[in-house]
Amino acid sequence: MPQIDSEFIGESNLIELRGITKKFANVVALDHVDFEIRANEVLGLLGDNGAGKSTLVKIISGVLATDEGAVFQAGRQVNLSSHADAAKLGIETIYQDAALVNSLSIYRNMFLGREQTAAFGFLRRQSMKKKTMEILASSVQISGVVSPDQIVGGLSGGQRQAVAIARAVHFRKKMLLLDEPTSALSVRETENVLDYMLQLKRDGVSCVFVTHNLYQAYRVCDRFVVLSHGRKVQDVIKNDTSIEELTAVIVQR
Amino acid sequence: MSLVNHRRTLLPETFSSGLNLNALRRHPAGNILIIFTLLEIICIIAAIGYPDQFRYLSPLNIQSVLRAIPQLGIIAVGVGILMIAGEYDLSVGATFTLSALSMANLFNSGTPLGLAVAGGLLTGLIVGAINGLITLKAKIPSFITTLGMMMLLRGFILFSSGTQTRPFHPGSFFETMMTGSAGLIQFSFIWLLLVTLAAYLLMDHHRLGNHIYAVGGNREAATSIGVKVFRVKLSAFIIAGGAAALSGMISTVRVSSVSPIQGQGLELQAIAACVIGGISLYGGKGSMIGVFLGSALLYNIQDILLLLRAPGFYLDAFIGAIILVAATLNRLIQKEP
Repeated sequence: MPQIDSEFIGESNLIELRGITKKFANVVALDHVDFEIRANEVLGLLGDNGAGKSTLVKIISGVLATDEGAVFQAGRQVNLSSHADAAKLGIETIYQDAALVNSLSIYRNMFLGREQTAAFGFLRRQSMKKKTMEILASSVQISGVVSPDQIVGGLSGGQRQAVAIARAVHFRKKMLLLDEPTSALSVRETENVLDYMLQLKRDGVSCVFVTHNLYQAYRVCDRFVVLSHGRKVQDVIKNDTSIEELTAVIVQR
Repeated sequence: MSLVNHRRTLLPETFSSGLNLNALRRHPAGNILIIFTLLEIICIIAAIGYPDQFRYLSPLNIQSVLRAIPQLGIIAVGVGILMIAGEYDLSVGATFTLSALSMANLFNSGTPLGLAVAGGLLTGLIVGAINGLITLKAKIPSFITTLGMMMLLRGFILFSSGTQTRPFHPGSFFETMMTGSAGLIQFSFIWLLLVTLAAYLLMDHHRLGNHIYAVGGNREAATSIGVKVFRVKLSAFIIAGGAAALSGMISTVRVSSVSPIQGQGLELQAIAACVIGGISLYGGKGSMIGVFLGSALLYNIQDILLLLRAPGFYLDAFIGAIILVAATLNRLIQKEP
């Protein structure tokens, strides 16, 4: 089977992780994994439960520190040891339950942590509300959202994902990590999230689609990385593989 | 979720905010506002119909209600902010007394009034900060931290000043400013309104308020978006301590003395007022107007029972029943999609 080798270093890489190793007590969660996110791609990060997908996502989003390995951006080694670092590198992670505060309104979520403020930290509420509606109308398209004052807890799972994605896009993230984004969604909402990923690619944002649903991944992804027991066992572009082959790689061992 | 026609749905209704009963009920303080208004209407009609039997609108009654609410109301605002941040403070009753005592002792030993007041306020802020530091650094539930702090402070108060009541006569200007009145208007009630307004501005119009809702509503989300959870929660603890101190000092001016057992039970009443006012016990949800109405409703009902000459032990039973009803109602509302 054709392997895209890990020495592939080029202008098109938004970020590169080399030799990433992470241990929890005696368990090796990640074992010298090389991983890169390229420009203009939807990358499928696949693997069975316990393969190391979540650990890798946490490392890329700055939540976990690596034991070994280095991170590069634009040819230079960079720090990736906090959420702030990840944000600076242009990475945003969208978790299953979307990192939104259910009891707050859409606009207060949209600008959480990056509030527009006037003097003394007072919020510019009208400006944020107006901007929120612009963002929602332009970047990802959600029906059923009519007001920036709607409480996020009242939205459906898909609408919440969309708000989280819109927030990431607005704050000019170059890479979106979507950790099992469709697992709690209805069929229609899943279709929409898959469509968003393609739309984001057209807008110049790369997505990492973390899932164990191979069929969803195969529909939208341009490249697949398969983890198994903490090792990278496959890194292949779509044209060079098939669902059958990927299935075989995932379930082997 | 369809991808067509979204622009149309996003447009006109966006900024309309007409009076809508359903929207009002979805507001955290909506139900309490409706209940409170209904209660007031019934009482006012009853008072107009039977002015001699039900003296609800007599100036004396109005004055006494307006005087009674601020003590609990100011504490409850602080406790409410802390509960929205996802934490509790059971030590506010003891902080209330300790701050008043600090102020009185400082003043009685010759410290200028302004410094004595500052000292009292600082006492509350420091207790709040200690509560916050222990809770957040040692990762202990604040329920336990502040329970310990409550007992510690009560013991310290009794140890340092015995069971004696301390006099406090700061002079007429200060007394008028804190607790005077002009006609029916009670200045202490004005203080409560100012505190509530400040709290509303903080929670709904300030960045810190947004972060307080966020850390209480979804700590992981707040952390992952870069909100400084430690700093935000610590601020909320300090606010609760400061509010308790302010209330303690105003109450002390009103009765011209500090008693060591003053303030006992206020911690639970404050939580009750918050729950009645729609503050979630799980954090992240609630409004300052709700806390204000919750405190007002508690005293209003006590007042109504007194006017109806209900025996004293009915009071607690009624308050207890209201708390149960309010908590259940709020829970049911939260379950709505």
